[in-house]
Amino acid sequence: MGFLWTGTWILVLVLQSSPIQAFPKPGGGQDKPLHNRELSAERPLNEQIAEAEADKIKKTYPPENKPGESNYSFVDNLNLLKAITEKEKIEKERQSIRSSPYDNKLNVEDVDSTKNRRLIDDYDSTKSGLNHKFQDDPDGLHQLDGTPLTAEDIVQKIATRIYEENDRGVFDKIVSKLLNLGLTPMAAIQDGFTNGQNDETVSNTLTLTNGLERRTKIYNEDNFEELQYFPNFYALLKSIDSEKEAKEKETLITIMKTLIDFVKMMVKYGTISPEEGVSYLENLDETIALQTKNKLEKNVTDNKSKLFPAPSEKSHEETDSTKEEAAKMEKEYGTSKDSTKDDNPRGKTEEPKGKTEAYLEAIRKNIEWLKKHNKKGNKEDYDLSKMRDFINQQADAYVEKGILDKEEADAIKRIYSSL
Amino acid sequence: MAARGGRALLALCGALAACGWLLGAGAQEPGAPAAGMRRRRRLQQEDGISFEYHRYPELREALVSVWLQCTAISRIYTVGRSFEGRELLVIELSDNPGVHEPGEPEFKYIGNMHGNEAVGRELLIFLAQYLCNEYQKGNETIVNLIHNTRIHIMPSLNPDGFEKAASQPGELKDWFVGRSNAQGIDLNRNFPDLDRIVYVNEKEGGPNNHLLKNLKKIVDQNTKLAPETKAVIHWIMDIPFVLSANLHGGDLVANYPYDETRSGSAHEYSSCPDDAIFQSLARAYSSFNPPMSDPNRPPCRKNDDDSSFIDGTTNGAAWYSVPGGMQDFNYLSSNCFEITVELSCEKFPPEETLKSYWEDNKNSLISYLEQIHRGVKGFVRDLQGNPIANATISVEGIDHDVTSAKDGDYWRLLVPGNYKLTASAPGYLAITKKVAVPYSPAVGVDFELESFSERKEEEKEELMEWWKMMSETLNF
Repeated sequence: MGFLWTGTWILVLVLQSSPIQAFPKPGGGQDKPLHNRELSAERPLNEQIAEAEADKIKKTYPPENKPGESNYSFVDNLNLLKAITEKEKIEKERQSIRSSPYDNKLNVEDVDSTKNRRLIDDYDSTKSGLNHKFQDDPDGLHQLDGTPLTAEDIVQKIATRIYEENDRGVFDKIVSKLLNLGLTPMAAIQDGFTNGQNDETVSNTLTLTNGLERRTKIYNEDNFEELQYFPNFYALLKSIDSEKEAKEKETLITIMKTLIDFVKMMVKYGTISPEEGVSYLENLDETIALQTKNKLEKNVTDNKSKLFPAPSEKSHEETDSTKEEAAKMEKEYGTSKDSTKDDNPRGKTEEPKGKTEAYLEAIRKNIEWLKKHNKKGNKEDYDLSKMRDFINQQADAYVEKGILDKEEADAIKRIYSSL
Repeated sequence: MAARGGRALLALCGALAACGWLLGAGAQEPGAPAAGMRRRRRLQQEDGISFEYHRYPELREALVSVWLQCTAISRIYTVGRSFEGRELLVIELSDNPGVHEPGEPEFKYIGNMHGNEAVGRELLIFLAQYLCNEYQKGNETIVNLIHNTRIHIMPSLNPDGFEKAASQPGELKDWFVGRSNAQGIDLNRNFPDLDRIVYVNEKEGGPNNHLLKNLKKIVDQNTKLAPETKAVIHWIMDIPFVLSANLHGGDLVANYPYDETRSGSAHEYSSCPDDAIFQSLARAYSSFNPPMSDPNRPPCRKNDDDSSFIDGTTNGAAWYSVPGGMQDFNYLSSNCFEITVELSCEKFPPEETLKSYWEDNKNSLISYLEQIHRGVKGFVRDLQGNPIANATISVEGIDHDVTSAKDGDYWRLLVPGNYKLTASAPGYLAITKKVAVPYSPAVGVDFELESFSERKEEEKEELMEWWKMMSETLNF
């Protein structure tokens, strides 16, 4: 039924020429530098202040700018978001005008070359209410007084941060925190979105199922048949152990449905073009597949123990993306994987593989350069065995000094011996 | 409209990322970017340099990769361990790695001494990869540099602090967390304060160089020194570094000695004897960094006082007084001239900006490296051709001497001009030579010193000869 709905969209909707930006497309990258932090540089300060003031007024007296939008004004929320964001930006600029509390730097050796902007941030009470709610815990999911944020707040907070920082990493942190803390905004999300979904004629064509009816149900497995039209997502769900991670599963389903609702709503209220919405949904499933795969690879890297345990560190950063490219290289050279470690059959062989690929690529370049450089005479083979011995020696020395792991050294030696 | 929608959809994309992550995830590492950004980062890769933040394991792997690619011209070593046990890794690039070739000057770059000032750390990793790539491509400038210099690159002097800083979420990742080492020590205030000693010596007389006698003993017995500080001091004592730069963040300027004011006030231009060459060195960095040298650049923060900045450079004390810093310690305890480069208004900027920081600094980093081949250099030997280590080379008019290294080799950075150089050593007769110094390359001036005993022998022989002649002439 969901697919029918999507199909209807595609048929019915006229293709507009609005460019689709800011969508994850599995095959392609983003052309626009999305993460240009200097958002405020796009428009003159005066203009922004003026708009922020205007929006502030709009906020206190919500206008009826769209017919049939009595209780729940989605566009207003977005306006609010924009206003908040810009207000914050202006606040930040104003703060830098304020003089530093530490004029005599001799006394404050900790400050070094910087003014104490962060302290001002924390204690500035002129910020708008919504920001202040989030201020002390930018990634947290509670208000200052400890009450959990509503779904609306969460969405607004997320979108605000995106406006502000244009940093999806930040957003991801918040959302994942939301998921991992097991905050159950199911009820909250349901409540939040219940308001204002009144236009029946529209929602019939747009909703997956009847909006209100669906929202009062609890999101569980029974309800996600319609999501089978997103095969990768479906597979992802299926792969989660229902007993152990029921909550996670539930949360995933909720998120997915929320996403779909979100898109519908934005199309409904004209925030995005139908074409954008369709495209997004079309890409949704593919993107899930890609990110799941990436996450898997990353997990496998995380499983390997590091040089020493750092308790605050659970997983390390994205693995070097040269590993992906070197995957072919790996096959070419047929490097034997370290199969002596069987505790995590899938994971362990993948992690050394990633690093090994990077090293393999480096070694390949080295050999190539050596060959080019030693074109005179039959030095080629001679140099290779000499290099091999040298590498063996160095690798051992490095292991002793703590520069290389034993496994890494073995891998490197193996690569050289296989050449 | 579309823009707004786009942003909101970003929110959805992020939630989607979270979906993908849930599979087998623990708590998501706050510092890690979304998996979906991998695609974009792929585009940020250039020639094997991936412009992303490297945590300790990735840092190590990146250096190992450079070594594996450029085995003939590189070597990784460690100068010691941080408080939490991380190796203070250095990658060395030269045509004969691991070996000091007599006459070949030694250079070092140190980054991330404040753990939350992250750009320097990353730039140095990129630089190592870049030097390796360019060498293999036959880039003449780089090939010459590597053949004629021994380049040491330490991406992070404070890996513990960096881990702390990198683990901070969003906005907190900036100002304070991770600055100091794991013991809470600010490494750039932890070095023995030699400025104060030299200021006294200026007034009352005393040495103008190598002010810390019995250095090894002092360092090992000083309980206030962080392990990272100790490691660097030993490093400075072991290798005859000539030129160095110390990379920081939080502003955009190239800072030179002295860092501590003479009078003790908060700001006061406090020039060192080598003010002229230091200004030139600092400019050599800043002039290739467009934002740093932009005279119309607004200060990093609206109320910052950058009145002391000229052409992207500043005297340290004129900006604000810093006691116990590594820069001045280099100048006053060894032959090494070091400047401090502030690379970015933001201490820990978003990963996506790293590529542009590289573009802004790439030429500066190379230009500054080349500065080592300036002034005067040569050997101090005895009459038999044996090297004289620890000979003193002084320049008339500059109240700062340098000393010769183990092979008798010395390097004296100087701005163009005419100079009188004097080489001296205990037990030897000093020799003075006149030198005309161009901008570059360095002029070669060697000294052959005669020892006192040799001179005495000579005089004795002369006397004998004269007596012999006298006796023959006068027939006695």
